[in-house]
Amino acid sequence: MKPAAFDYCRPASIDEAAAALASSDSAKVLAGGQSLVPSMNFRISQPSLLVDIRDVEGLDGLEVDQDGVSIGASVTQSRVMNSDEAYSAVPGLRRALRFVGHLQIRNRGTVCGSLAHADPAAELPALAMAAGARLTVRGPQGERTAAADGFYLGPYWTGLEQSEIITGVCFPAEAPGTVTVVDEIARRSGDFAVVGLAAAFDLEDGSVGGARLVSFGVSGRPQRLAAAEEAVRGFHAGAAGDGLYGAAYEDAADAVGDIHASGEYRREALGSLLVRTARAVSASNGGKAGAR
Amino acid sequence: MTVQMKVESPTGINPMIRHRSGHIGSSLPRREDRSPLLGRRRYVADLKLPGMLEVAFVRSPEAHALIRSIDTGPALALPGVHAVYTAADLAEVGSFPHTIQYIRPVDQRPLAEDRVRYVGSPYAAVVAADRYTAEDAAALVSASTEFETLPAVAVLDQALAEDAPRLYDSWPDNRLVDFPAEKPEVTKAFEEADHTFTETYVSQRQTGLPLECRGVVAEDVDGQLTVWSSTQSPHIVRTTIAMMLGIPEPQVRVILPAMGGGFGAKTHQYPEDIVLAWIARKLGRPVRWIEDRFENLVSTVHARDQRHDVEVAYDDDGTIRAVRCAAYCDVGSGEIFMPGTATVFVTAGCITGGYDFPNMEVRPVCVVTNKTPSGAYRGFGTPEGMFVMERIIDRVARLTGADRVELRRRMILQEDQMPYIMHSGGKVDSGSHAKGFERAAALIEQSLARAKARYADDPDVRVGVGYNNYVEPTTPTYHLTTGHWAGYDSATIRVDPDGAVRVALGNTDLGQGAETTAAQLAAEALGVDPDDVTVVMGDTDRAPYGLGAWGSRGAVVMTGSVLMAADRVLVKAREIAAHMLEASSDDVVLADGGFHVAGSGTPKVSWAKVATAAWARTVDLPEGMEPGLEMSGYFEPPDLEHLPGADGKVNAAATWSNGAHAGVVSVRISTGEIRIEDYAVVHDCGTMINPMLIDGQVHGAVAQGIAGAMYEHFQYDPETAQPRFASFMEYLYPTCSEVPEMTVEHFETPAPEQPLGVKGCGEGGTIGPPAVITGAVSDALADLGVDITATPVTPAAVRRAIREAAARGAAS
Ligand SMILES: Cc1cc2nc3c(=O)[nH]c(=O)nc-3n(C[C@H](O)[C@H](O)[C@H](O)COP(=O)(O)OP(=O)(O)OC[C@H]3O[C@@H](n4cnc5c(N)ncnc54)[C@H](O)[C@@H]3O)c2cc1C
Repeated sequence: MKPAAFDYCRPASIDEAAAALASSDSAKVLAGGQSLVPSMNFRISQPSLLVDIRDVEGLDGLEVDQDGVSIGASVTQSRVMNSDEAYSAVPGLRRALRFVGHLQIRNRGTVCGSLAHADPAAELPALAMAAGARLTVRGPQGERTAAADGFYLGPYWTGLEQSEIITGVCFPAEAPGTVTVVDEIARRSGDFAVVGLAAAFDLEDGSVGGARLVSFGVSGRPQRLAAAEEAVRGFHAGAAGDGLYGAAYEDAADAVGDIHASGEYRREALGSLLVRTARAVSASNGGKAGAR
Repeated sequence: MTVQMKVESPTGINPMIRHRSGHIGSSLPRREDRSPLLGRRRYVADLKLPGMLEVAFVRSPEAHALIRSIDTGPALALPGVHAVYTAADLAEVGSFPHTIQYIRPVDQRPLAEDRVRYVGSPYAAVVAADRYTAEDAAALVSASTEFETLPAVAVLDQALAEDAPRLYDSWPDNRLVDFPAEKPEVTKAFEEADHTFTETYVSQRQTGLPLECRGVVAEDVDGQLTVWSSTQSPHIVRTTIAMMLGIPEPQVRVILPAMGGGFGAKTHQYPEDIVLAWIARKLGRPVRWIEDRFENLVSTVHARDQRHDVEVAYDDDGTIRAVRCAAYCDVGSGEIFMPGTATVFVTAGCITGGYDFPNMEVRPVCVVTNKTPSGAYRGFGTPEGMFVMERIIDRVARLTGADRVELRRRMILQEDQMPYIMHSGGKVDSGSHAKGFERAAALIEQSLARAKARYADDPDVRVGVGYNNYVEPTTPTYHLTTGHWAGYDSATIRVDPDGAVRVALGNTDLGQGAETTAAQLAAEALGVDPDDVTVVMGDTDRAPYGLGAWGSRGAVVMTGSVLMAADRVLVKAREIAAHMLEASSDDVVLADGGFHVAGSGTPKVSWAKVATAAWARTVDLPEGMEPGLEMSGYFEPPDLEHLPGADGKVNAAATWSNGAHAGVVSVRISTGEIRIEDYAVVHDCGTMINPMLIDGQVHGAVAQGIAGAMYEHFQYDPETAQPRFASFMEYLYPTCSEVPEMTVEHFETPAPEQPLGVKGCGEGGTIGPPAVITGAVSDALADLGVDITATPVTPAAVRRAIREAAARGAAS
């Protein structure tokens, strides 16, 4: 359980970091190390060079304004979770982060690291899609932005090039009338989800006008639930859940089975989780529905 | 064979050492806690010896393969690598002994020689300057090994098939042992009973999972070999090393510095102990190997991988007439010493638990497959058996409409049946089976009502209750397990010149608090303060030969051996004191830390004065008395049998603890999520030496039982026998969030034959949860037709059971 040999650098500027990353095909960004280091210890990942971005100037910002919450690449999950300003602008962040690992992990793990790592069962990528977050990416050719929705291609696979760094992410402020919630079923508290749901519901008079629904832990990547987004329109607390359940079940047709649960379980549980969540949100009519 | 030996003083002063100063039964704080809480306890991994090198083992990536060739060249060429050894280098080292004649021989070499039989099997060892380099080199050895893959045997049914690939060419099949059983009274009951049913109950592969993985440091100085090993039985490790390396036993010293948990997994004799000892002698340098968690999961013994094919005969009124059970244990490759065969025999012997149920016929079968060898884990076959028995009782209740509690009441052991001889010959010496069950049932009834009220408004949530009444065989024989060692343990007590007491024990401490307990016992026996007692164990040079800690034996064997040794010390001390008091020793008593003439408190002779005379001022000794004040006791527990009689029956444990568990769960139908709402334990381990430590044993063991009921599961690919686990991402132990608060109460029914009436208490807590949780989930979902027959019960398993029950319902 020791990593293969590697080089390590800790640049102070984003230009240096970008150059270092571009210097080798197997260089990798090191952020909180909570996913990368374990995979190196298993020698699943054998980077030749680690580019530690902790000291890079300008990446440690956590800014909250009327547009939303901007999170720099070296900002830890704990810092975001503990920020009351971030919570009032984008309540979904805290609601997602309480499911991410344990305190010790969130104290080191970064929000952008989780978005880059793209674990199919991770909460933050799904939330980023549901909330309409945008990533800022720096590469050899300069800076670009990318919507989280569309960024996730498969397990641990994103639209990021090897030589690119996510410098930050911006979660737009939750609009009035919108409720963003995250819920999941995990084998134990703090585990990656066996079945998870990140959802932004637009509520109109106690019923759902529209929603962006994203599953995680169900298939190989966080996934928009197209049929369920249709079926949920007009849903209210007293509505029968069968149609919505069935739509989510269909959306999850490519659910995967593993040692924790079968694909069939994931489809069923996703449907139940969605109905349960939609009921709770419409019943509370836009209050603090997400808070448990 | 029964050895009858009671703790009786040759001089009859024994009553002096019974419950006098009140140390027995007091919750003395653990003296072991300070150093680990401060991060100062020294484990094997903390040892740093000058010039020490690191060893990494090269482990098989193949489940079943022939080793065609190993090229050690590339690894040896790596800077920092000192040596690479394979089985060929260890030709002079013996094989692990084959000591149990009724099981098939497995010729286990310290390093796999020409064939590997499970993923994780060690077949080469790399010695390097540090662990990083050692692992780099191990990867090179692995890449330079040519295997010829053989068909793997991954699942039980496949292993049992006529045309199954064989793990051992010389065997006719894959059965390590198969003990057909047939009882005429069972056959008769099946003929007479109103109904029968068959079912298969499965318990999954798990492991003891100590926080501290295994580790070995070995050093040879001038032919004196010292091995530090995280083992539950240092003396047995010493004997095994000496035997296999062919060196005189006094030239080997084995030390267990401190242990971060063993749970049975560290009772076995592992290849790494032997290989490290050999390398240390070969290289003349200290070497160390610290098991990492991946190695721990693939190469420390697994356990509990059992399937029970059951046939039940019962009557309309719910009377269970007889049970037939074929108990199959998948012991993995079988390449471990002691072998993993004994647990399923314990399942067979203890399956009826706290019930009066003679018509039980169990056929234990051990089957080899291409998985990690299995062996000991706290509970040792009992949780598996209890799960089967309680599921059978619940099924019969369901089939006949009998009340589940009432049915158990009808079957439970009564006090006037004691001693009760079980179907297997187990002699349940005493207990509080019936009243313990009543108390647990009463406790849980309130919890059930509360839980029902809590979820009254949620139609998706159902609530249920489960029960278990177990017996815990404690202080067992090791002879049926090892084929070699048997059942005694030892203590040597020395009173030093200043009057302070040193107790050296053959027992070890894995974290239970054995040091504290031993100090209480010696303080009680010698009338001193526990703080004046120093306890030494886990070192073959400082402590007498003993068998170590396993089988919930510590309390009983320490009580016996400490009291024996103390008694002998007392006899001599009293003679010395009598000489000083110019009295007859018959008139001298021990009170308040000193000796005086009965009836008059003064003058008093202190322990210090007596001991000083024994060691230093020998001129003060009675004429002709041999100097010194050190005595040993070798305690063979009464009632313990080491071999079955002609009828195949055996009382393999000296004394039997008992307990009743009951638990309430809530289950969410739509997602299968389970929550333990409440859990109650009514426990009885006879006289309690330290009630707080016993509560701790119960809490921890129940947590491990819950692990088995709901979480921990080693899964293998059913085709290739490749493990589908490598870390704690896959092997899920319950955390503090998953283990509920529990109520623990005690009855104290003394063991009639054991010193002070003490029974063991280490394993009981693990026994109940699989039976209780599966019972409670089945109860919660009874109207959906769900009856859980396998552990672990996960959300996915619950959903599958609901689907299957619905399909059965639709089909019928
Ligand atoms: C026990 C445990 C439990 C956990 N449970 C959960 C959980 O329940 N849910 C969950 O979501 N996560 C969980 N995690 C993972 C945790 O959230 C990680 O912190 C996170 O996934 C990665 O963030 P990091 O900052 O640690 O990134 P690192 O581990 O440093 O990096 C991860 C990957 O992302 C790349 N990377 C990191 N930052 C950037 C960047 N700015 N630009 C480009 N590439 C980058 C790295 O090169 C690497 O490939 C758990 C981790 C552990 C150890």
